[in-house]
Amino acid sequence: MTHATHRFTLLALAGWVLTPIVVLALRAVSLSWRYPQIMPMATASGGAFEALADPRLVAAAATSFWLALATGVLGTVLGFVTARLVTRASGRLQQLTWLGALFLVVAPPLASGVGLQVVMLSLGFGGTVLGVLLAHLVPATGYLTLFAAGILGSMQSGIEDEARTLGASRLQVWTRVLLPQLAPRFAESVVLGALISWGQLALTLLVGGGVVRTLPVELLSLVRSGNDQAGALAALVLSLPPLLGLGLLVRATRRTGAAL
Amino acid sequence: MTRRNVAPLAAVLLIASPVIVGVAYTILAALGLRGAGASELTVRHVAAALGGWDTWRGVGWTLATAAVATAVAAAAAFTVALRVQQSPLGRLLAVLPLAVPHVAAALAALLLLSQSGWVSRLTHAAGLTPTPADFPALVYDRFGVSLVLAFAWKEFAYLVLTAVAVLGTLDRASDEVARTLGASARQVFWRITWPQLWRGTSPAVIAAFAFLIGQYEMPALLAPSTPTALPLLIYERSVDPNLLRRGEAYVVALLALTLCAGLIAAHGIWRRRLPGVTR
Amino acid sequence: MNTPRGLVVTGAHVSFGARPGLHGVDLSVARGERVALLGPSGCGKTSLLRAVAGLQPLTSGAIAVDGTEVTGVLPEQRGIVYMHQSPSLFDHLSVIDNVGFPLEVRGTPRRQARERAAALLDRVQLARLAHRASDTLSGGQRHRVALARALAANPAVLLLDEPFAALDPELRAEVRETVLDLLGTAEWAPAVVVVTHDVDEAAAMAHRVAILLDGRLAQVASPEHLLNAPVSVAVARLLGLPNVLTGIRAADGRVSFALDRCDARGAVGQVAVVVRVNAVRFGPPGAGTPARVVSVQHRLAGTIVRVDVAGEQVTGIPAPGLSLAAGDRVGVLVDPGAVHVLDEALGGRDV
Repeated sequence: MTHATHRFTLLALAGWVLTPIVVLALRAVSLSWRYPQIMPMATASGGAFEALADPRLVAAAATSFWLALATGVLGTVLGFVTARLVTRASGRLQQLTWLGALFLVVAPPLASGVGLQVVMLSLGFGGTVLGVLLAHLVPATGYLTLFAAGILGSMQSGIEDEARTLGASRLQVWTRVLLPQLAPRFAESVVLGALISWGQLALTLLVGGGVVRTLPVELLSLVRSGNDQAGALAALVLSLPPLLGLGLLVRATRRTGAAL
Repeated sequence: MTRRNVAPLAAVLLIASPVIVGVAYTILAALGLRGAGASELTVRHVAAALGGWDTWRGVGWTLATAAVATAVAAAAAFTVALRVQQSPLGRLLAVLPLAVPHVAAALAALLLLSQSGWVSRLTHAAGLTPTPADFPALVYDRFGVSLVLAFAWKEFAYLVLTAVAVLGTLDRASDEVARTLGASARQVFWRITWPQLWRGTSPAVIAAFAFLIGQYEMPALLAPSTPTALPLLIYERSVDPNLLRRGEAYVVALLALTLCAGLIAAHGIWRRRLPGVTR
Repeated sequence: MNTPRGLVVTGAHVSFGARPGLHGVDLSVARGERVALLGPSGCGKTSLLRAVAGLQPLTSGAIAVDGTEVTGVLPEQRGIVYMHQSPSLFDHLSVIDNVGFPLEVRGTPRRQARERAAALLDRVQLARLAHRASDTLSGGQRHRVALARALAANPAVLLLDEPFAALDPELRAEVRETVLDLLGTAEWAPAVVVVTHDVDEAAAMAHRVAILLDGRLAQVASPEHLLNAPVSVAVARLLGLPNVLTGIRAADGRVSFALDRCDARGAVGQVAVVVRVNAVRFGPPGAGTPARVVSVQHRLAGTIVRVDVAGEQVTGIPAPGLSLAAGDRVGVLVDPGAVHVLDEALGGRDV
């Protein structure tokens, strides 16, 4: 391939990928951007950022944050325990689990969510943060089980046996070998689980019934009420954590073969 | 089932329980046994949902937009992956959309493609569209142009990532051997590289397609009210003040689940018949 | 003039990056002839092969196949097939479609290509696996499929890059026999270049062995001649000849070394003396040069004994019926016809 075509490809790629992001960012910081201006007339100094201090948005961001953290931690525990147990099971059950986990990831959250909504309502969790957390755990656990399986599968198989023959007790194998090795992976898993919950909208709406206001829920209602600027600002805030975790996202996607 | 499988099985059932219970309730609710307005076993909801023209139009529309978006994303992703494989900057650019949540990407599409959006302003500046009304309706339109583009934008990143990974595993030596066996560069691409690239990425392409069928956020901001996209149909029916209509939500949800499961199963069967994917 | 059939490489220069490349390699291989290319790792064997196949450019020089210059020609149009170290089968194709590949890319209809491929698979005793996926085959089977596929291209020149390196020792011999069988058949007689770093393999496979050292061909000769009369100490060491000894040539032209003395004209001073292992015999002490046994190795091909003669180590074989152990005193007798003198001083061994 020639140098020129390569540059053209990069340029086209940059245009396709960056244009929406740049327009979103410009909209977020512009007080007024009327048709047919191509660039906003006045960009915000402080004033527009008042939207950020809007107590509704702040509260929504806080709800989203705690939900994401809890989903990440609980999903990691469930995911690693399941993956660990299943890697010791016989072939057919293993296959069944991977299929099941994949289905949790790919299946429309909404489609299984409507049934979940009924269950939550009858359990009294409808419209509560706890109910939404349980709902978020469904896709997160599926995804993190696949992630954990990839991690556990790529660990040296003989390492436990070797540690035992070197004199480590069963407990010491865990505390001195496995956990230190896995600690960074646990952290990654928590972040991934948190990101799944962070971007979730459909399940939150269904089970939260519009009462649980997360950042995506607020974003949706801002846009629907025509407040594009605050919406764009919320969208930027929403995109920031995944952007920071992009390297991790890329590695995890390669490992599990599933997108968030 | 051997004894050592008991604990793993219990764990699997536990993590799957929300879905198992959810699907079970969906089935019961679809048959009128549970949920709002439940009374007795009835096929009323099934008949209402499946007998309605709205449902099938929504199914067709959703499948069509998801299919076109997947095709656009895959074509763009393969083209780009083959060219930016060796370029770190290109690879970084290509995966950026992974970081933008669907609802945020949908808003960006709205800002770009609506009749007073950024693209419309560009065409205005170029003298092509004197007023916003002269710009074609790409948002809430019956062809779902903005929805397809937004879908494609998100899935593109995922598919580039997969394609670059697959290309990285291909044996470059076999390309050279093929050349000395008499294949031209073009023949090497179409007979060696492409089949392997497609084979490696097809599960991801199918997963992207299945995912788009159930994607709620983007249609919620970009799709027209008629035909109604499948996820919107499910959501709207499930919160319908008319309790009788809620039963239909469960039926449509089951339909969506069946579509996704069927798609994945069909792909699995197709794949198993290929040489070299026996395990 | 008669155009030579087969491969002719003239003055090939190949550069690879910062490292010194090949400078002016001349090599011709007739149809039906097999030449082994032997050299230390990193000497440019593979680069030479790839340049001949058109997979990497020649800096200068020319390549001709059956009298036609192919230097700038695309790889697929040279009539040269390159077989990679581990057989690069196309794993997305079945075995029979792998073999039919060269025919299909030349426009043969699929049905005919498959018929021809089936016949070729029969030749390598793999007809029963025709419709298997190629990634389900064992290592030896993959090699045979790759060979049948190369046959299908009907090349004028066949390049084998360390063809058996990835195989177990037992399989290696078996696959090598298959290759030699097929190459020996009259209807298909390409010029063959096989790259290897195994001297035994080179000797077993090739009519001639070409030694590549420091970017040049140091020597091209039959295996027998090569082992008896390497042109330099470096070649002798590459071949792994154990007895490369220091000698001194006196003014009268006589060369004396640890075991014997012999006549060999040349400049006065230090020389190197190469003696083949089976030309050195250890008998009871008394006859020949006195020595002390350092080690005894019992091998399949016979017993190999290393002795110390006045500070130099010499390897040879025991006289028939003589059983030796480390520490024994022996007398060394040398077959004077097997002594080969090189006009260069011995450098330090870089092992």
